[in-house]
Amino acid sequence: MPIKLLVRNLLGHPVRSLLTVLSVAVALALLCVIDAAARGFTAAVDLAAQNRLVVWSRVSLFVPLPIAYEQKIRQVEGVADTTKFQWFGGFYRDRSGFFAQFAVDADRLQTIYPELAIVDGDYAEFKKQRDACVIGKGLAARYGWKVGDNVPLISALFPRGSSGVEPWTFTVRAIYDPSRKNFDDQTMFFHFDYVREALEQGAAQGLTGVGTYSILLRDGARAEDVIAAIDALFENGPQRVRTSTEAEFNRQFMSMMGNIPLLLRSIGGAVLFAIFFAVLNTMLMAARERTRDFGIMKALGFGDRRLGALMIAEAIVLVGVGTALGVLLAKAFEVLMAPFVAAFAPGFAVDQTVLTQGLAITLGLGIVSGVAPALRAMRLLPVKALREDN
Amino acid sequence: MATAIEIQSVTKTYHRGGEPLVVLDGLDLRMDGGTFYALMGPSGSGKTTLLNLIGGLDHADQGSVLVGGTDLNKLSGAELAQWRAASVGFVFQGFNLLPVLTARENVELPLLLAPLSKQKRRAQAERVLKLVGLEDRMDHKPRELSGGQEQRVAIARAIATDPQVILADEPTGDLDRETANSVLELLQRLNRELQKTILMVTHDPEAATFADKVVHLDKGKLGRIDDNRTAGATARRS
Repeated sequence: MPIKLLVRNLLGHPVRSLLTVLSVAVALALLCVIDAAARGFTAAVDLAAQNRLVVWSRVSLFVPLPIAYEQKIRQVEGVADTTKFQWFGGFYRDRSGFFAQFAVDADRLQTIYPELAIVDGDYAEFKKQRDACVIGKGLAARYGWKVGDNVPLISALFPRGSSGVEPWTFTVRAIYDPSRKNFDDQTMFFHFDYVREALEQGAAQGLTGVGTYSILLRDGARAEDVIAAIDALFENGPQRVRTSTEAEFNRQFMSMMGNIPLLLRSIGGAVLFAIFFAVLNTMLMAARERTRDFGIMKALGFGDRRLGALMIAEAIVLVGVGTALGVLLAKAFEVLMAPFVAAFAPGFAVDQTVLTQGLAITLGLGIVSGVAPALRAMRLLPVKALREDN
Repeated sequence: MATAIEIQSVTKTYHRGGEPLVVLDGLDLRMDGGTFYALMGPSGSGKTTLLNLIGGLDHADQGSVLVGGTDLNKLSGAELAQWRAASVGFVFQGFNLLPVLTARENVELPLLLAPLSKQKRRAQAERVLKLVGLEDRMDHKPRELSGGQEQRVAIARAIATDPQVILADEPTGDLDRETANSVLELLQRLNRELQKTILMVTHDPEAATFADKVVHLDKGKLGRIDDNRTAGATARRS
């Protein structure tokens, strides 16, 4: 019966209850997605490999390093292997078809990044063909690409042809699915030499050089020693370098975009306030409208605690239904947003941790927002409450 | 006849606009159990205030209110709520049913506070609704009932827990004459057949004729008590 009364009270104002439930659902979904993105950003740092270093220009990440540096770096004590990494800046069809592409050393990429687990096609075929590429599973799903398809891209950094908008064509030879969360599944890798040859032949324009070098350390090598050795090697130019661990590089790369996790979490905090005020508003209105009902119940012998508990239970039910809907919505958002977010936040996932935290916060706020109307109901004098018009 | 309600030197003062307003001024009154009382008097004479004090909805500033031997001024808020649930039933002018519940559920509401199973609660609610002649309207919500039917549901709710005292504040104030008379006859029947002590506040002299005794209040003090059962009280309804 108290449950029946609670449900009937909520259904007494179906539009208001529905809007509150929806606002809680949307807020929770946003909170979960924001938290997942913030965790995704930090995952790139937290889950970075301990045995990899990155070398880039001391001037700026956008200033390329000489190709000749690679041989010198490979000779440094403690370096097991290296690969070039060059940002391509291309897009598919139009600028909305943007995703990450890197020109790399195909022969060595998988040695340095063993987390690139091939799930379709053949990596050996990729290595053999100069204009071949390997793409992430998520990217393949996003555009419906499969092994053997040709992918035309127009690059802003490396314009091709006399018009500058002639597409580069890549043939998909393998599809990877990262075995670790530090790596996204939305990236394309292709041969560095494919771009270099086009530049040398005058078929394309752009800066020659390498954006960054990724280094795999030998077993037992100390990262600090290798970093110091590489930095010292190019101390006198022609281009001074900065060498850091992969984690530090990822941290610096993200700091260029500002403190995104903090920004996201600030937005999340604002969303929490929105949930709180939405439910509080509904519950206060409900409590005010039912002043006379509380008076009747008090006259019948219902104690203050029972009435307070009824109001808190109402808030919990309202928020609980919104929360359940919010979980479904969050999972839907995850599917929709993953292709766009994963390249920047490879650990992006609305997983159990994110959902559990979101649920706990939302339900906690539901209880808190029920306290004020509950106290109001408890403090009402029956004589005064009975004089109120519903 | 045993005393059901005893009011001893009760004073109640309200403050309106900073000015004290004495509503009950040292009132003494004794009411017998199993008797139907009508409480009359001009507006502001303290009728409803007295009813609220007897019902444990408010506290007296001074004096004692004893109902069934219990001194209500000595009970805490929680104890008073428990006492109300077990000892008194209310019937209000505006019916005061919960609009989201059916007639049966409204009657079941006070029974939630009694140690009864769901089946027994339901059976008791149906029994009292039959007693007030609403066996065919049990599943209707208040808005689907007439004013008279709503007041019958309210009376059924008031007697659901079988309290010894029923307090009715202008129970016929919102009803037409014919319906009012049927509600008053019902209260009279509850008094006679179930020996309930009934205290009814009313402005309506005709309604007062249904009572055994009429208590007149004036400016917070007891005026006179008329006994409708005496030979001279020809207007008494029976």
